Amino acid sequence: MSHIVFSDIHKAFGKRQILKGAEIRLQTGQCFLLSGPNGSGKSTLQRICAGLEKPDKGWIDIGMGARSWRKQRHVLQTSCVYLHQQPFMFDGSVRQNLAYPKTLIKSKEERKARIEIALHWAGLEPIADCWAKTLSGGERQRVALARAWLRSPRYMLLDEPTNNLDDDAKQRTLSLLQSLKAQGIALLIASHEAEHFLPVADGWFELSAGKLVNKIPSQTQNDNVVTLSKNRLVGV
Amino acid sequence: MDSLLTATYQAFHLLFSGNTELWHIIAISFRVSTTAILLAVGPAILVAFALSYLRFPGRRLLIALFNTLLSVPAVVIGLTFYLLLSRQGPLGDLHLLFSQSAMVIGQIALCFPMLVAMGHAAFQSADKRAWETARTLGASPLFALYTVMREVRFGLLATLLAGYGRIIAEVGASMMLGGNILNYTRNIPTAIALETSKGEFAQGIALGLVLLLLAFVLNASLHYFQGKGQVVA
Repeated sequence: MSHIVFSDIHKAFGKRQILKGAEIRLQTGQCFLLSGPNGSGKSTLQRICAGLEKPDKGWIDIGMGARSWRKQRHVLQTSCVYLHQQPFMFDGSVRQNLAYPKTLIKSKEERKARIEIALHWAGLEPIADCWAKTLSGGERQRVALARAWLRSPRYMLLDEPTNNLDDDAKQRTLSLLQSLKAQGIALLIASHEAEHFLPVADGWFELSAGKLVNKIPSQTQNDNVVTLSKNRLVGV
Repeated sequence: MDSLLTATYQAFHLLFSGNTELWHIIAISFRVSTTAILLAVGPAILVAFALSYLRFPGRRLLIALFNTLLSVPAVVIGLTFYLLLSRQGPLGDLHLLFSQSAMVIGQIALCFPMLVAMGHAAFQSADKRAWETARTLGASPLFALYTVMREVRFGLLATLLAGYGRIIAEVGASMMLGGNILNYTRNIPTAIALETSKGEFAQGIALGLVLLLLAFVLNASLHYFQGKGQVVA
């Protein structure tokens, strides 16, 4: 088990302060939800965690003491994968998109075999040779998850992964996320419909006034919600 | 009218009879302009990319500067580099004036702002997620740049063709920096200007036909690739 602790994260866009000392701990094999109103900084925080956006201030600890974001940027970029709200598909087929991620596998045959496994895992076999840019939202989301999985990340940061998806596509995405978690990948899911991910969640944070606060679901009617107790919220 | 028809007939005869002098002029034109565009395109694309994707002080000023340089006349570029390369100029010791190298330098100066401005527009039109997705999937900055270039390849190709079209047909800089020396620095536009001033219209028309054909090929390619880009996007 490994973890990353992000602490005292500050970020402003112009005069607008988005993050004011946000703190979060990601642990492999665990899934955390991130909710908050539009513009509260969910995506910004995830992009900072993925090494894509520079914070104004912030410390990252991967187990060897807290260091600045700039010093840990490479580690973040190699261990985290960020998935956009609407995943971007490169020009080419689904198979070609899955061949994009950089992996440590040198053998061409082994890489091909991994792509076939990913296609099967995400249920993409029937559309493997389709032009990726023409896929529906749900299919794109599954391609993005399979593509990210092929990168073998330790941490996966998903921005509204079920936004605008129908119930069937949401369910398929959820089962893929469960599978990723079972494989030991840490998940941080930003969503305004976080309740949907409770079956897979170990903790739930809400971004409020630039800081993360533990959020415990008030509605316990849903059976799944009962499984999420305060004790499981392990965020800093 | 008769004289025009005769000159046009002679022009076709010159083109298809394999007139050495004429084809030498055409070869010089293509050699100089192709060298200039090949030397300019790499750095111009990097500058265009930096202006699109990096945030640094003076970025907006640089964009405005390159857009302004788009409208600088070729003859002014020619004059500037003439003064720099002439014997009394700061680069006079290089002895480049009235050479193909000087013409290449002038043409690079002409097409560089165009390549940057149009390249910048092409990169601006690219989806920002392309760069981020490439990076988060482990691509190096160079490979991520290649990925983004691939995504906007039709726009970049249009940029390249427009830049090439500008320099192969310009007369001002080539005339001042090359000197219009036969079999050395005489290219299509300077030859047309010279032959017309002498009243020798046949060669001028023949060379004009080559330029027209080139313009047609460039524009047809541009429309073909732009159309293809729209279908894909």
